[in-house]
Amino acid sequence: MMLLPCPWCGPRNATEFRFVGEAGPRPDPATVTPEQWRHYLYVHANRCGWSTETWYHRAGCRRYLSVERHTLTHEIRTVRDTATGTTSASTATPEAAR
Amino acid sequence: MSLLPTPRRPRAARPTDRADAERLPPRAGEVIDRRRTVGFRWNGTPYTGHPGDTIVSALAAAGERVFSRSYKYHRPRGLLTANYLDPGCMVQVGDEPNVRGAHRLLTDGMDVRSQNTWPSLRFDVRAVNGLASRFLATGFYYKTFIKPEVLWPAYEKVLRTFVHAGEVPPDSAPGHYDKRYAHPDVVVAGGGPAGMAAAVAAARAGATVMLVEEEHQLGGHLRWGGPAELARLAELRALVAAEPAIEVLTDAVVGARFDDNWIPVVARGIPGIDERLIKARAGALVVAPGLVERPYVFAGNDLPGVVLSTAVRRLVNLHAVRPGRRAVVLTANPEGDAAVADLESAGVEVAEVVDARRGEGVRAAHGRSGLRVVELGDGRRVEADLLVTAVGWTAPTSLLNQSGDRPVYEPRAARFLPDPTRMPENVLAAGGIAGDGDVDALVEHADAVGREAARRAGRSAGAAVTVPALPVADHPELFSAGTGGFVDFSEDVSAKDITTAAAEGYDSVELVKRYTTATMGPAQGKLETVNTVAVLAAATGRTIAETGTTTWRPMWAPVTLGALAGRSHEPVRYSPMQPWHERHGAVPLIAGQWIRPEHYGDPAGEVTAVRTGVGIIDVTPIGKLDLRGPDVAKLLNLLYVNKWSKLGVGRVRYGVMCAEDGVVMDDGVTGRLGEDHYLMSTTSSGAATVWEWVENWLQTAHPEWRVHVTPVTTAYASINIAGPRSRELLGRLTDVDLDPERFGYMQVRTGRVAGVDDCVLWRIGFTGELSYEVHVPAGYGLHVWERLMATGADLGVRPFGVEAQRILRLEKGHAIVGQDTDGLTQGFSAGLDGLIKLDKDDFVGLPELRWQRERDTAPRLVGLRPLDATVVPPEASQILDRAGGIAGRVTSSRMSPTLGRSIGLAQLDRELAEVGTRVTVRLPDGRDVAAEVTDPVHVDPEGAKLRG
Amino acid sequence: MTSTNGNGHRPGRLRGYSAWSLLRHGLAREEWPRAWHERELRPSYDAVIIGGGVHGLATAYYLARDHGMRDVAVLDRAYIGSGGSGRNTAILRSNYLTPEGVRFYDRSVKLYEHLAADLNFNVMFSQRGHLTLAHNDASLRTMHWRTEVNKLQGVDSEVIGPDRIKELVPYLDTSEDTRYPILGALYHPPGGIVRHDAVVWGYARGADAHGVHIHQQTEVTGIDVERGRVTGVQTTRGRIATPVVLNATAGWASLISDMAGVAMPVQTSPLQAAVTEPVRPFLDTVVVSGTLHVYVSQTDRGELVFGASVDPFASYSMRGSLEFSEGIAGHVLELMPALHRMRLLRQWAGLCDMTPDYSPIMGPTPVEGFYVDVGWGTYGFKAGPVSGEAMAACLAHGKPPEIIAAFGLDRFGDGRLVGEKGAAAVGH
Repeated sequence: MMLLPCPWCGPRNATEFRFVGEAGPRPDPATVTPEQWRHYLYVHANRCGWSTETWYHRAGCRRYLSVERHTLTHEIRTVRDTATGTTSASTATPEAAR
Repeated sequence: MSLLPTPRRPRAARPTDRADAERLPPRAGEVIDRRRTVGFRWNGTPYTGHPGDTIVSALAAAGERVFSRSYKYHRPRGLLTANYLDPGCMVQVGDEPNVRGAHRLLTDGMDVRSQNTWPSLRFDVRAVNGLASRFLATGFYYKTFIKPEVLWPAYEKVLRTFVHAGEVPPDSAPGHYDKRYAHPDVVVAGGGPAGMAAAVAAARAGATVMLVEEEHQLGGHLRWGGPAELARLAELRALVAAEPAIEVLTDAVVGARFDDNWIPVVARGIPGIDERLIKARAGALVVAPGLVERPYVFAGNDLPGVVLSTAVRRLVNLHAVRPGRRAVVLTANPEGDAAVADLESAGVEVAEVVDARRGEGVRAAHGRSGLRVVELGDGRRVEADLLVTAVGWTAPTSLLNQSGDRPVYEPRAARFLPDPTRMPENVLAAGGIAGDGDVDALVEHADAVGREAARRAGRSAGAAVTVPALPVADHPELFSAGTGGFVDFSEDVSAKDITTAAAEGYDSVELVKRYTTATMGPAQGKLETVNTVAVLAAATGRTIAETGTTTWRPMWAPVTLGALAGRSHEPVRYSPMQPWHERHGAVPLIAGQWIRPEHYGDPAGEVTAVRTGVGIIDVTPIGKLDLRGPDVAKLLNLLYVNKWSKLGVGRVRYGVMCAEDGVVMDDGVTGRLGEDHYLMSTTSSGAATVWEWVENWLQTAHPEWRVHVTPVTTAYASINIAGPRSRELLGRLTDVDLDPERFGYMQVRTGRVAGVDDCVLWRIGFTGELSYEVHVPAGYGLHVWERLMATGADLGVRPFGVEAQRILRLEKGHAIVGQDTDGLTQGFSAGLDGLIKLDKDDFVGLPELRWQRERDTAPRLVGLRPLDATVVPPEASQILDRAGGIAGRVTSSRMSPTLGRSIGLAQLDRELAEVGTRVTVRLPDGRDVAAEVTDPVHVDPEGAKLRG
Repeated sequence: MTSTNGNGHRPGRLRGYSAWSLLRHGLAREEWPRAWHERELRPSYDAVIIGGGVHGLATAYYLARDHGMRDVAVLDRAYIGSGGSGRNTAILRSNYLTPEGVRFYDRSVKLYEHLAADLNFNVMFSQRGHLTLAHNDASLRTMHWRTEVNKLQGVDSEVIGPDRIKELVPYLDTSEDTRYPILGALYHPPGGIVRHDAVVWGYARGADAHGVHIHQQTEVTGIDVERGRVTGVQTTRGRIATPVVLNATAGWASLISDMAGVAMPVQTSPLQAAVTEPVRPFLDTVVVSGTLHVYVSQTDRGELVFGASVDPFASYSMRGSLEFSEGIAGHVLELMPALHRMRLLRQWAGLCDMTPDYSPIMGPTPVEGFYVDVGWGTYGFKAGPVSGEAMAACLAHGKPPEIIAAFGLDRFGDGRLVGEKGAAAVGH
């Protein structure tokens, strides 16, 4: 499986992480319409290309990460801790694979 | 003219006498140890060979020429490639099916049998299929057995008996497999001259290298060469041996290349291990598998005696076996020319050299169980028992394709070549797969590739190494003589089959592959793909380049399931009290990873003990999260459907979590231990999920909240003490004041239990009885449990298991998330009407629950009592509406020891959910019984017991 | 059905394949006719079906055969059956959890039972029985639930114990001291396996005979929508005008629907499968274990075919992973330890469009004339015939027939999800 460069732990096999899904804003529950809410629940951009999504480093630092990933090639452009904003080096280069 | 040996020749009285009948005098490069012999059996008859022999080289040395029968037509098959790929040399060895007889080394006592032959290899009844071949053309099974439909199962049974393969006995002895992780800078796939040179160069540049060779020795084609090649081989081997950073693996293959150079290497021949899977994350991969010699397609090309030039060279030079007596050689390249020289040096009469470079050709091979006559392009017929073909090469680009490369056909070289522009940075190619040249040129190129691989793996700084492009040598395009013959030997697919398929419309390479099954056999298409493409191209009038090639998929070579599985690492979790449970007859229950006592022999008795006296249950698997910080209440308010802001210190509240779609996710109690300190409990199965859920909301939605979460599920052993006498029992062991005035229902205290400090005591009641749940530091769990049992002996304390707990909670009407709810059950369908606070500003799932309430059409969780109190409708029994449709189902049901009648919970359509409604329950045996809808709480609806 | 259709050729009757014709062709050594033809791409069609898999081809076949709509084109970006139809593990069953699911798949199995005769093409449906193993109380409870729902719908299912299981599959380790002891199984005798490519080819041949145009190597690059209705599709071979477009793709459901401006509640993930080298047949039923995420069957050629659950993240990659093979091997050996010397020959991946409720999305969309038959998750192949039949009716009449009423796109906005998720987590 691909390497995912964790900002805290370094590049790790993606099996250490749990894929959470595409990241999107949560509508305000006080004003949301059913249509808007269910769009938030169910509809995905589901792009074949660059996608911003959330991963959880389950077998590592247990941080939620915002990952910019290409869904066809599995290249990874940026990885950012969702809470602290800490980023890691970009795509898993051969050097990073060490 | 020589006498041709045939398989029908009468067998010598003592077969071992013939063991070395075709063995040549010592050869310079031979790999056999003549001083020792190895005994084995072939179809029950004893044979011998030498260490270093493969199964088939030993049999060939004894004069055997037929090793299997083909899949469809049961034609006799012999040697073709004399390596791992050899389609005619698959044999059964003991319990092991499909052993590559031309690769597997002989070991003493091997029991080798031919596969799929009946009654014997020499006389196979199913060979009549060959006579019917014109009716069994490709795809015949799609065109017949259609009517009558009822007969297809019978036809199918017959088809299944034709399977060309070994057997797996149901009682196969277990094997030994393991796995290893590796992080080499460079993996080199292929240990021929290029692979060796690349490995040495990479190592010298500072890289750690894993050099992987499929055969039993490094060296590739140098091994079967002349004195110059052997000298070069010794030199390269010495260079490899001198580099401690190179790990050499022989009889091992790079199975595949996955994302970011995640590379499985399958290592065989390790003492004591059947196969080992090495999982390597490599900085760079050098693909250097050499070239695979391609068979020629012509009538009779599968007869035993028709072999590839490399096979002849291996047999003669590595195993010192004379492959025949009288040979015709069809050559289009130097390897074929060298085979002529090898044959002559081995004393084989070379009757005819057919040089394709001069436009000469071979039309057909004739014979029955072996080659007898070769029909040349000019019409002449030459008697021979050996026809050697050297018509060209296939670049086995499998690993490169898996890296994103798409091979491009080069007509001048008559082969597909990798497209270097489409290879990722961390994959390089060396050796014959990349181009042509003499050994010096290949080594020089590989040296540059090795240095560049080390650099790309981050092992050497500096500018990129210039890797010279290898030239590509001209080679005549020779694929098929146009006279028929087989394209795929293991699948018995003929050239005619391909042509027919194309004419019927299966005219793209992927469709023809699927229709004929060409290339889908054990050689993974390495022998068959290009011939398939070429024959298809000819049939459709397209070029080979236009026709293209199929996708090469993992694995490079088949891998045992044992090696892929490795040793089992399925974790199992036990509580610290497990030894006690085992000693006391607990029946185990598998609950996710946990093994728990289901009961101790008498679940009904355990229930009665709890209702009338006191019982204790091990509830260690309950999930526990320690929450600290000033914002915990905000977190709880967000995640639970009920309100948490006013929970005082020492108080406990039950909460339910829903997901954003309003579906019930988990439940449990959370207590406030201190001003900024809470302990949350979750269901056993939800412990990990809820932890991640909590972290998700904290980290992604509210990073500004100050909450720290620590999972403490296994830091504590948990014991629930339940029953009217539980206070009396616990009171004997704790300094915590249990007076109901000061420690009331739904409160929590910390203190000492049985001499153990820092225990957490909750007064809660899943069972519906007065009860205390005690979390004990895990190391003291067994101690506290044993003290409770000993101290409570006079109170009649009994341990109870999960089954009794299920009955107790069912009597009390407590739902179990995931049993009484399912993947679509929203809050108001789970009996939570009183709990859900729609007036909160926000909580997870709020909008959906608001709408669910407004619609008020969803199913409800109800109590259920069959009118016949002795009938317990099994869980999952369906509840029917008046029209006989499904109106709901029984989610929980038991005989209640307390009430002496059957009780249940059910999910039921809204219209039928009013208390007092009569419904029909369809039992699994088909009977219908009447039942009445009740309140879910069957025992002590006022909760007097709990609060007592 | 002998009238001439809009394309000017006569719809043929589906026959010509039989033991007799095989003998005749063998004796005379004559060529077989083409199973389907390459036709000119016309500038307009009455309907364009995107996706030359079993769903698209079956829809075209039934449209032409049952509804007289023959001016129909089926487009595929590669070759027919190149997507999910040629990559699945070819398991058929109808033992679903919800009444609407059971009814739907039962119709599919019934159509499969007579498909060979109907199409005059042996699809080799082998109704060898289907076992879903239960390794814990919760899954045993779900097996009972499915059984009861199945029985009420007239579908043959029962829960059987370890002894019966051992009789059916002697290679299974039914002892109690394993990590995942087999407590019971949902046994579904009508389930089995089929030759998946043959289903595609049979429908292609049938559709072609009824006048449908099959265009391979024709990729759709855009969908023209004017004032809320479809007017045509853009392809790599030019524009086709049409008032009716069906998205019958798997793996590209979102990408095609996006072209029409219709957002999809779909996440695409690869589903991997693998095949071993052949061994002598020993496994007569399909064996599934949800807990161990594995399903196994043995083909008539002797290969074991393995599948698992979808990969755990969104992806359009079909490169596959090592972890899949490791996991599947481990789990197969947990079930059948004797197989450790069998070799995994090849692994591959297909793309699955997963929906939130593990049920498909079928029927009209907010764009008039644009229909979908997508979101098939891991079970699209099983539903090929019934989907074709239902979507043909839907396209012909402009509204979905009752059998697919529960599967409309609007259910997500309305919060009316189908409850198939529980049973289908690894539902092969």
